[in-house]
Amino acid sequence: MRNSKKIKRVALALALATFLTACGEDNPKGSGGSNERELWICAYDGGYGKEWINNMAESFQKKTGISVHVDVDTTILDRIETNLKNGGDYDIYMSHDINWRNYAAQGWLADLDDVYSAQVEGSSKTFEQKLVSGAAANSKFEVNGEEHYYKVCYTQGAGGFVYNIDMFKENNWKVPTTYDELVNLCKTIVDAKLTNAAHKKVVPFAWSGSDRQYYWDYPVFEWWAQKAGLEKISTILEYKGPTGQYADGYEMYNPETYYKEFVEAYKMWWDLVANTPENSTSTARSDNLGKAQMAFANGEAAMIPYAQWAKYELESTNEGKLDFQFAMMKTPKVSASSEDYNYLVGFGDSVVVPSNSPNIDLAKKFLSYMATDQCCHDFVRDAKGAFLAFDYRDIDLSDLEQDDPYVKSIHEKLSENNFALVSKNPITYLTTNKVMPWVNNDYYYAKAASDPSSNQASTVGSKIYEAAKSGWASWCRSAGLA
Amino acid sequence: MVSALSRHSGERKKRKANHWAVYLFVFLMLLYPVAHFCLMWFGVNINSIFLAFKRPNDSGVLTWTLSLWDGKSSWLEALFYNFKTLFMGFSDKTQYPIYVNSLMYFVISCLITLPISFFFSYFVFKKVAGSAFFKVIFYLPSILPLLILCMAYKYSLSPGGLIPGLLTAMGIDCEAFFADLFIASESKRWLVWIFCIWAGIGYDVILLTAGMSRIPRDILESCKMDGVNPFREFFKIIVPLTWPTFTTLFIFGMMSVFNVTFQPFFLTAVDTDTETIGLYIYNASRGTGLHEPATLGLFCSLIGAPVILGARSLLNRCFKNVGF
Repeated sequence: MRNSKKIKRVALALALATFLTACGEDNPKGSGGSNERELWICAYDGGYGKEWINNMAESFQKKTGISVHVDVDTTILDRIETNLKNGGDYDIYMSHDINWRNYAAQGWLADLDDVYSAQVEGSSKTFEQKLVSGAAANSKFEVNGEEHYYKVCYTQGAGGFVYNIDMFKENNWKVPTTYDELVNLCKTIVDAKLTNAAHKKVVPFAWSGSDRQYYWDYPVFEWWAQKAGLEKISTILEYKGPTGQYADGYEMYNPETYYKEFVEAYKMWWDLVANTPENSTSTARSDNLGKAQMAFANGEAAMIPYAQWAKYELESTNEGKLDFQFAMMKTPKVSASSEDYNYLVGFGDSVVVPSNSPNIDLAKKFLSYMATDQCCHDFVRDAKGAFLAFDYRDIDLSDLEQDDPYVKSIHEKLSENNFALVSKNPITYLTTNKVMPWVNNDYYYAKAASDPSSNQASTVGSKIYEAAKSGWASWCRSAGLA
Repeated sequence: MVSALSRHSGERKKRKANHWAVYLFVFLMLLYPVAHFCLMWFGVNINSIFLAFKRPNDSGVLTWTLSLWDGKSSWLEALFYNFKTLFMGFSDKTQYPIYVNSLMYFVISCLITLPISFFFSYFVFKKVAGSAFFKVIFYLPSILPLLILCMAYKYSLSPGGLIPGLLTAMGIDCEAFFADLFIASESKRWLVWIFCIWAGIGYDVILLTAGMSRIPRDILESCKMDGVNPFREFFKIIVPLTWPTFTTLFIFGMMSVFNVTFQPFFLTAVDTDTETIGLYIYNASRGTGLHEPATLGLFCSLIGAPVILGARSLLNRCFKNVGF
């Protein structure tokens, strides 16, 4: 009997302890018991690594005395909505695919107007003026008749062909400047019948059809911009039809008219890759990213389609360094007379501040700090070639570019005519996977490489148009545009 | 007399205390599941039901559909705005494969996996030669996380994987065939179906063997003494006596029409050729227009619930429920 009482008491004590421990973990910010305020940042653990944010937090802390806690993880998107709605631990979120317009409409994001109008330390420019062209316009949103800034563009990106500089030099291959030169280069590489150290045949491209086929978008979008011009693309991105109404917005996908150049750009890719299988590693269409990276790193391929995070990722998966130098070439132009364009990869990535954060003022201070020249410089260094969405024209990167052709190549590419495919049409952010350059998020690169004849440009163009036409009315209604 | 009375009152107190302990025990035992049900089922689903009656206003804020009624149409039309949108979406031919793919899982789960599982369970139950080996083969998929299982399956069939590697070692050039396997529309569909059958059998076999092991030995021994052959024993004894388990699994199989989500997602990502209703809802829920997947989910529940309940009622009539 006494034993049973003892057991009951112990059980009760354990239950109480568990309960109290659970309560204690509810607010990790307060766990230190200190009254000092601490800024909590959550950044997506992607191709920029964590070094840059840790270093930036440390330098901010040194400068301002405000302590910063940083978490870098890949699950941010799974919990951001709940955290914004119900209150979470973080004062700043940084990630791709944050549906910020919707969150702003729900009142979950702090307006950042004062950040944009404030002067950046050490500069004569305001935060807004420091941003790369188009970034400020993409960060405004109208809620209940009032327009405010609700986000800061995270990075400005470059995408295209990353190439093996050493291999090019050894074989006297010239970096192509036009599409025709690229086609000839591919033929030269194939005809050379070179082999790498593992006796595998060297081919022009390594790429991943299994999980990164959309990397082909980067050159294809630039060819599209060169053919169509930015004005036409801006018209398309409104997704209003020829009548100026949303009702026939699907006409923007008409392969005979508005989408003609997009289909032509796809055809260029189809000719280069899908219909010329010898230009790719034998199983590229089904390879995962790791396999494609290995093929490039092992010298099995001379080029790989990638974006600005290429250096970080390629080196991370190859024990820190590759045996050769590499850089990103300017995407070979449609023709010699075409203008160079750079598609801003990841321009939709965002930095947001929750409206229920108790540290909005600290968060804004940190955002302003990010815009300083030193932070912009250090980001490029720590993220290995990625650039924040600020204007780098006045920032001296010569120390980084001196030994790193990759950083230099990205910097040069970002100096071209930049464009993004961010649309303000509600369908694009309410039904995120429907309206994309590829309707329903249906990509054709891997399919075309597997079965070129069934995925020719004309067929793909018609499929995209039909899919848009078929679903348009319900997408409009769903987005409240009925 | 006094001592008898006091003993009686002591016993009553003891019984009362026992009752209190029983109530406390029942309360504590039920507390977690009931709270879990309220929060994770009712809480989540009631929110989904509400979402089906909300839509974005001009600013993009999800607002009650009736509050956006302009008076030009009927109020019912305004109330069921999302449902009308959903029905309009049904005319989108590009989405038909999603519904066909989903319905295929009824065939796969109920008409292929379950009968196969029934037979295999019987072999395992009868301890035929090699049953221990098959037990491992069947149970393995049930104890591994789905993601690992999908990746193991996918990579063993991808170039450089186990099966292509073996075939290449045997001198068979099959690289191109395996490179296209998860890309070509027809083959990837089949690969997902085959995976679901393989992974589904284990779960069914576990439940069915558990059901069979409850059958009293004396019934089976008397069958043996009467000279009943295994074929007859299976159909006349095993099937009727495990019918409640079969019914449960059949209903689970019917529900797979709406539930199969991550198998195609892990194997082929989001792709119209293999997309299911569950995957469509999951994918759409990752966006911000949550009213759309919520409406589809509610519609599927309204269609699915009576069909499943009807099927259950029919199946329950097949054999008399026997208690043992």
